[in-house]
Amino acid sequence: MSQNIKVTKRPVNSLKHALYLPAIAAGVKVTFKHFFKNISDINAVETLRYPEEQPTDISDRYRGLHRLTHRQDGSEACVACFMCATACPSNCIFIEAEEREDGLDEKRPKSFFIDTLECVFCGYCVEACPCDAIRMDTGIFSLTGNKREDFVMDKEQLLSHKGAFGEELSRARS
Amino acid sequence: MSRVVDIIIDGENYRAEENSLLIDLLIQEGIKVPYFCYHETLGADGNCRMCMVGIEGQKRPQIACDTLVKEGMVVNTKSDTIREVRKNILELELINHPVDCPTCDQAGECSLQDFYMEYGLHNSKITIAQKVKHDKAIDLGANVMLDQERCVLCARCTRFTAEITKTHELGIVGRGDDAKVTTMPGRTLENDYAMNVVDLCPVGALTSKDFRFAQRVWFLESSEGICHGCAKGCNIFIDHNKLKYKDDTIYRFRPRRNDAVNGFFICDAGRLSYKELQEMRQESATLHGREISQEAAKEAFHNLLLLHQNSIAVVIDANLYTEEIESIINFANTIDAKIYAPLDIYKDASFADEMLKSSMRAANYKTIENLGITTSTPQNATLIINCNHPQEFRADATINFFTHRRETQALTLPIAAYTESSGSLTNEDNITQYSKQAVFKNSPLPTISDYLQGLGYE
Repeated sequence: MSQNIKVTKRPVNSLKHALYLPAIAAGVKVTFKHFFKNISDINAVETLRYPEEQPTDISDRYRGLHRLTHRQDGSEACVACFMCATACPSNCIFIEAEEREDGLDEKRPKSFFIDTLECVFCGYCVEACPCDAIRMDTGIFSLTGNKREDFVMDKEQLLSHKGAFGEELSRARS
Repeated sequence: MSRVVDIIIDGENYRAEENSLLIDLLIQEGIKVPYFCYHETLGADGNCRMCMVGIEGQKRPQIACDTLVKEGMVVNTKSDTIREVRKNILELELINHPVDCPTCDQAGECSLQDFYMEYGLHNSKITIAQKVKHDKAIDLGANVMLDQERCVLCARCTRFTAEITKTHELGIVGRGDDAKVTTMPGRTLENDYAMNVVDLCPVGALTSKDFRFAQRVWFLESSEGICHGCAKGCNIFIDHNKLKYKDDTIYRFRPRRNDAVNGFFICDAGRLSYKELQEMRQESATLHGREISQEAAKEAFHNLLLLHQNSIAVVIDANLYTEEIESIINFANTIDAKIYAPLDIYKDASFADEMLKSSMRAANYKTIENLGITTSTPQNATLIINCNHPQEFRADATINFFTHRRETQALTLPIAAYTESSGSLTNEDNITQYSKQAVFKNSPLPTISDYLQGLGYE
């Protein structure tokens, strides 16, 4: 690891730094620059009129709603190893495992729930998954429901979500 | 008694019996030494080669499990050569390992994982496709699943069936890459201690069918308890877990080492007794089969005591903790009741064997005997207070303190099971042991002494 550490020099302890005032003035200058610019031309303000206007800048790295990926035969890629549930900082993934009988693997999830109200969308589950079975590449950023239970996604719902960026199947389980 | 000699390990002085096994000293002193095949009760086999140490004066590293302690021996367990040797041996052990840790129940308590993190950290030189394939998920019988690919051929399981149970069901057949653990054709693993091979197996080759995919082991909390299956009082780990929004649940019992009582093992009946413990629980007070409130139960209790004054018998279950028994005796003396603890119902000669199973299926019957409690059935009592005794008694009226639901019309009060409370037990050999509370339910049930305190006795 040691060769990856980059040592940077601390800024010089001058009177200019110690006073803070020049830095405050520089900050206020930026604020006022934008203030006058926006006042003079209101159409240049970068505001999205959501929900009439939808965002167009959602990239494949955007952490949207979760989905479970499939194998080539359409079954789930998940092997119920609980890595996602272990990594999850908000403990919102609830899995029950069972025997998988088709010979592709030994284990499969009997049930798989994600409580999206508890989820903090950190993406640790995606990082932890050894089977590329859970992804957050659906591009779905908005979720509505009438009651709390509507936000608890079960296995069928998670499997039905489509990837928004072309990649459908799991890259690790075929 | 052999001579005690001085030896030096990693520059520090230790004292050990001459001609004892070096690995025993290393384990006892907490010096890290990796091993698969060695086991304190099964002895040294010397096949896994993981426990290599350097010994001054010897040309090559030696296995600690087959090295005898000698006067003035200088041992080194930390040199670069030793690390390198262990790493290379581990790489050989892992050559055909399927690396299916995500689906393996052993993951989290697997020696291969631990040693890889400690000594290996190498990249595999062969691909998954090149690995030799064997059969997976074979049901051996007796709740044991075999995965031949994960096996490191340490022969602990075969030595267990050969030396401990003497049933010889398991053997290693084939040579080289083809070597695998198996049963004789047409035979299954069947003995009363078979599931101990699951704990003995240092890797995921033998796993429990009962625990299969139930939980990942790192979620479980292990509490020290005493098995209540019979009067032997085997020491166990109660592995339990309180899942989010759920109640505290026991997932398995594992043996806990106690050389004075059970050694390293427990019987399968005791191991699986956690299931019964959690089913059909009496969870609320009932009268005539219907649920009643705590206040109503308390009132009914007092009324019955008043009604049957001077003709009350208290019957004590021989599985209760000594502390509970004592407070019941105090209570019985206060209300002038006779105390009984019939023991005949616990006797089961068919359960007993030469190893760990006792014919007396009551964990604390010795305390009943030591306290001199009458062991006959109660006579001439009009009210019987049954403190979880398994037998059914005839009387005009009955008050029951039950852990589990039974067919009864009488006033029944729910009590905590032994895993939900703590106390001491005296086993058949007069060894008194303490069992800690393992399970903390969301709505805990009181013990009998809690009830008696709440009812104004004690």
